[in-house]
Amino acid sequence: MLLLPLIEPYRSLSIIGMCKNAGKTTVLNRILSEMQETGKTLGLTSIGRDGESVDVVTQTHKPGIYVRKGTLIATAVEMLKYCDISREIVGTTGFPTPLGEVVLVRARSDGNVQLAGPSITAQLAKLAGTFFSLGADVAIVDGALSRKTLCAPAVSEATVLCTGASYSRDIDTVIEDTAFATTLLTLPQQSNFSEEERAACTGKALFRMEDGSLCPLPQDLTLSDALRSPAYACVRAVYVSGAVTDALLKPVLTAGKRFEGLILSVEDGSKLLIRRGTYDKLALCGISLAVARATRVAAITVNPFSAYGFNFDKDELLSRMQARVNVPVLNVLEDVRVEDMAWHAEDMRRIAAREEAERNTDCSHCCGNEELI
Amino acid sequence: MSLNFAQQENIGFRYVVDALRCDSPYGDARVRRLRFYASHEAEALLEDLGNVCAVMDTFEAYAAEYGRIERLMMQLKDIRRSVERCAEGPLNEVELFELKRFLLQSELIAPVFAAINAAAKLRGIEIRAQSEALALLDLDGQHAATFFIPDTYSQALRAARREKRLVEEELRRAKTEAERAPLMATRVRVAAAEDEEERAVRTALSEALRPFLPGILACMDAIAAFDFTLARARLARRYGGVMPELTDGVIEMEEMQNPRIADALTERKRAFTPVSIAAGKGATVITGANMGGKSVALKTLALNAFALSAGILPFAKKARLPLFDGVHVVSEDLENVDRGLSSFGAEIVRFNEVMAECGLGNAGKKAEGLHMILLDEFARGTNPEEGAMIVRAVTRYLNRQDAVTVLTTHYDGVAQEASAHYEVVGLRDMDTARVKGEIAMASPEQGADVIAAHMNYGLYRVEREQGCPRDALNICRLLSLTDEILSDIETLY
Repeated sequence: MLLLPLIEPYRSLSIIGMCKNAGKTTVLNRILSEMQETGKTLGLTSIGRDGESVDVVTQTHKPGIYVRKGTLIATAVEMLKYCDISREIVGTTGFPTPLGEVVLVRARSDGNVQLAGPSITAQLAKLAGTFFSLGADVAIVDGALSRKTLCAPAVSEATVLCTGASYSRDIDTVIEDTAFATTLLTLPQQSNFSEEERAACTGKALFRMEDGSLCPLPQDLTLSDALRSPAYACVRAVYVSGAVTDALLKPVLTAGKRFEGLILSVEDGSKLLIRRGTYDKLALCGISLAVARATRVAAITVNPFSAYGFNFDKDELLSRMQARVNVPVLNVLEDVRVEDMAWHAEDMRRIAAREEAERNTDCSHCCGNEELI
Repeated sequence: MSLNFAQQENIGFRYVVDALRCDSPYGDARVRRLRFYASHEAEALLEDLGNVCAVMDTFEAYAAEYGRIERLMMQLKDIRRSVERCAEGPLNEVELFELKRFLLQSELIAPVFAAINAAAKLRGIEIRAQSEALALLDLDGQHAATFFIPDTYSQALRAARREKRLVEEELRRAKTEAERAPLMATRVRVAAAEDEEERAVRTALSEALRPFLPGILACMDAIAAFDFTLARARLARRYGGVMPELTDGVIEMEEMQNPRIADALTERKRAFTPVSIAAGKGATVITGANMGGKSVALKTLALNAFALSAGILPFAKKARLPLFDGVHVVSEDLENVDRGLSSFGAEIVRFNEVMAECGLGNAGKKAEGLHMILLDEFARGTNPEEGAMIVRAVTRYLNRQDAVTVLTTHYDGVAQEASAHYEVVGLRDMDTARVKGEIAMASPEQGADVIAAHMNYGLYRVEREQGCPRDALNICRLLSLTDEILSDIETLY
């Protein structure tokens, strides 16, 4: 199954992973390879640093990003020495990173690149515009680990979500958490607050009343205080200008009150830092979620191989994931035969040695996943 | 620079500097490091100011050219450090790219500058296109705003790129990892050879550029000078700057402005009353009502004299003044009480510092050039009887010195010690009945605003000596001070 038909309708695309080693780079390389037939020019960057040949966190092999001639890339100055394409420098951006300013390069040959782009949403959005003005047809943002990844959907029309065995040893957890992430990424577009109203919001939240009037959250009240007070009984929708966290919602959920039909909106999915349990409780209380900037999940890719030395049955993972979500699901290594994965055996040996040493420490790879979900 | 940051802020000089908007980072750097002219550099200052006036004079007629050069300068990036680094070693590809962009931009800016300069005839500023240096970096002769070393540049590069291309084509056709692996290995080797050759080219280019670096830096300096001149011309157009006539001690300023105070008043829907004053060596005294703007007059004079030494046209209708080597302000509200002194003590300490800087007083050593000393309500913090005596003595002393002193005071008997005496018109010509009526209509706390609106902030020269005006009593009356107290004051007058 090809990725191309799933992503072709979109002009900007982000690739994000549920965890490291979910197969993000493999997906990106597949997109790059499938796209070369279309003759489209790609603009490519990442949120923060990505594309190292060895994973700096898990010390396992990582495929490099191999671009085709003509591709535009935006990366930090210090990364250029690791890019073995013939480089034409076409611009500078003024966006600083720890690895130097982000510069724009046109690949004058095929080759490997290492990406280290900006990590600020506004800069990424601007960069996409620059790609288009330099002649790119499609802009692709490669996300990195952690909650920052969720910025990527905010600056792109569609997202490819990568998940796999590296996320958890428990296949149910992988499937449920990925499905939940998909839900947050595909929340419906809110319609209660106009762009002007949201832009003018200086406080923490806005309320839309039953009678259509708009009312800001008073300075001296918390969101949960207001929602529980009788004075705000006729609130139809809430817009929270910052992040919505479990801590923010807990008092609302434990109030023992139903908020039938209340719509809670945020700017985009990256502002929702809540657990699956919280989300389920919201639904039980009659509250639904919506976003001002909706995105689409173009596809989910699954990687049955874990960087931590175990594999899932690839067909089981694929079919169960497909059954769970309403989005096309692909196996990222579908066309790759086991003998082509010599690096995998090498990784297995390295991991076995390390796990031997760490036998008593529990599941170190799980850290970081909590904050995503 | 005789005024510290707080003093510069106080007289409105920082506000003026902040209002200088340059288009290029080179101009911005020039504003950050202002150059102050000493009195022996009067000629250079006049040339600089003449350039500002020449830009003002041609601004309308060459509006299109000025607009274009502003846009071109806005696109510049400060790459001075890269140029300096090039003198020491090879530049990397991004630095060469940025240098090429600058050189391309210099080719666009130079002709526009030449068109403007044909009319403006600026002295000492010449922006030259850096075409020879650009020719070195424009490797494919396309004038493209990108940096790429073309295959044709060297035999070795062509060979490496060709081999790399062949491998890449094979890689595209390769189906399996087994086929790809040896090709990838070859590719790594060839890419390294390409990289090696590119590095050699960059080193050679950097070396070839070296003879042109002084020219490039001079071009940056010229852009900075022109940008700074343009920013000063825009400032002068906005606030009314005038070409001054430099004197050796006489000050004759007509209708001076103070942009900071004027803008603050405009915001409150009031207008700034321009300050006109003449002074010279010796002491000039300004007296007048409370709320009458004596301090504003002093600050405005300080601002214009100080700004002049930074190459900024005086904000006035007409300006005759010397180029001072130092402008010194002593004002109680500027003194640092952290020194553990009372405000009066701090004022005396500051006064002594100023005397030393000017080579007066106990310093006994003549300082270079001419200095201006501005005393705002000197000794106001001590008891009025002693204060008056102190200010009289200070005035008498300064009146004999080879320096220009202007002071404001409340105290009686100071003016006769000075060479000239100005007074704020204040409430002299006010229609008392009308103002009283307006105050009655307004709320009690707005009374002071009503008076302010009727206050005449202009200065007039007092020819025949008279006592300080009695506007304080007038203000007490208008603001309805307790009747019993008022009548008591009247019997005391």
